[in-house]
Amino acid sequence: MSALYLYSGWVRTWHWINALLFLVLIFSGASMHFNGAGWLLDFQSAILIHNTAGILLTIGWIGFIVGNLVSDNGRHYRVRLHGFVQRLMTQSIYYGYGIFKNAPHPFHPSAEAKLNTLQQVTYIGVMYVLMPLLILSGWAFLFSVYLPETLLGIGSVWVVAMLHLSIAYFLVLFLLIHLYIITTGETVMTNMRAMLTGWHRDDHQEPEA
Amino acid sequence: MGWILLFSGMAGTGTACAETDVGPSQASASQAAETPSAETPSAETRSAESRSSENRNCLRCHQMATLAYRNPENGEIVDLAIAPQALSHSVHGELACSDCHDSDFGQYPHPERLKGETLACVGCHEEHDDAAERVYRFKTIDEEFKHSIHVTSDAPEVAGFSCHSCHDPHAFRNSEIGEEIAQIVRQDNGICLSCHAEIQDPLRDPHTWLPKPEKHREAVRCLDCHTPLSEDGQAVSHRILAGKDSNRDCVKCHSKAPQLLNRLYQYRSETDLANKGWISKAVFNEAYVVGMSRSPLIDRSALAIIAITLLGLGAHGYGRYRAYRRSKENRT
Repeated sequence: MSALYLYSGWVRTWHWINALLFLVLIFSGASMHFNGAGWLLDFQSAILIHNTAGILLTIGWIGFIVGNLVSDNGRHYRVRLHGFVQRLMTQSIYYGYGIFKNAPHPFHPSAEAKLNTLQQVTYIGVMYVLMPLLILSGWAFLFSVYLPETLLGIGSVWVVAMLHLSIAYFLVLFLLIHLYIITTGETVMTNMRAMLTGWHRDDHQEPEA
Repeated sequence: MGWILLFSGMAGTGTACAETDVGPSQASASQAAETPSAETPSAETRSAESRSSENRNCLRCHQMATLAYRNPENGEIVDLAIAPQALSHSVHGELACSDCHDSDFGQYPHPERLKGETLACVGCHEEHDDAAERVYRFKTIDEEFKHSIHVTSDAPEVAGFSCHSCHDPHAFRNSEIGEEIAQIVRQDNGICLSCHAEIQDPLRDPHTWLPKPEKHREAVRCLDCHTPLSEDGQAVSHRILAGKDSNRDCVKCHSKAPQLLNRLYQYRSETDLANKGWISKAVFNEAYVVGMSRSPLIDRSALAIIAITLLGLGAHGYGRYRAYRRSKENRT
């Protein structure tokens, strides 16, 4: 058995705050978007909660980016191009086929690389593409008076709204897959425990589940 | 004709229906076709002092809240009172009375020939040097107004309808960004409601089809549904539509329709921003319109993709469970 300290305190703190904000934003966002359905928040509270959580998410995101720049956590998001496609294929084949055959995990986290290539690509897409777009479109919503009246011949508020909505759906999708994928560690709880304690335990070479 | 002071407690309201409550200029405007009065010296050529001394003279009588007379032809009471406070805060607050009215009104009793004086907004406003730069072009307003239900209708109530029927020149001022939205809406709708009393009667109100009518009335101006979208850059068209031609389509505001949504959202946003500042705006954003982010296409496709993903993940999990059982059996 080996144990690696992969998730430092600030990363874990950021992660769980971000996770909580995601849930709050999805629920309050859905309450605004589908306002009228019975099980949702009332409109005024939803606006207040969504906007406040959005501001906190923005601060959190900036914190994450700055943290990655000043700490060594950023290296996990630098893609190694050598053998990239091969590693991506291997990981995908494992999730699509090998995992059902009790094949061994093709990737073992290390202090140098805690993310497998598929994770790396996903997190780069989420944190460096979707999140900034989500945050920018959220703020653009609030300060749309400073935007031109139309963008590409369409009312700018609507363009912003659709961008924000589409990205939000993508991130809901990400969250669902993320929640599922974390159960595919050595045991169902391996990855979850790692994000709670910081320590990744690699005690089985064969996956249990 | 001698004017009679009526002590009925009738005060000049800011805006009122031409038929029932008409100020000095409204009274004349409703009697004849509109022509500009251009012979009077311009406001700029006069000193502020001479203007205010002239206005004081006029207001000595006209500030009396009960100054009015009964029109012998139709028996209606014509209100001649002007609220000095409202006048000084109005868009015309800087003008001398004689900038618009004939200077011979300075004589008392007023000369008989002035009785039929007519005043019009369009002529005077289009003469201004900056007319072309204004957001509202009065020529455009005039064109739109000609097609308004207030002009085209045969109903006796709209006979003689003019600019002054809604905009009291002695009190009117444009709402400004920064004023409270609810206040602007209340003021704007007050103009309409001063004539359209049936709207306040629950049994005759034609808006009962509207979900949450009270919310709408507090948050949206009558004009937002009862005018077409103007294509000339002016925020609101002066072509007031008949009820049957007005917008009854919820999704025109509560969804895509960019112009109407922009009109509502941007206006509310600007006001919000000026009123409360950045932080407050970011937290409380009052401009959000329910449904503005809805797109049936995106919603349906996204929810379908999410559902398919959940099914896929469920199936994947089941496959993993089977593999786990198998490996356990193999071990035993």
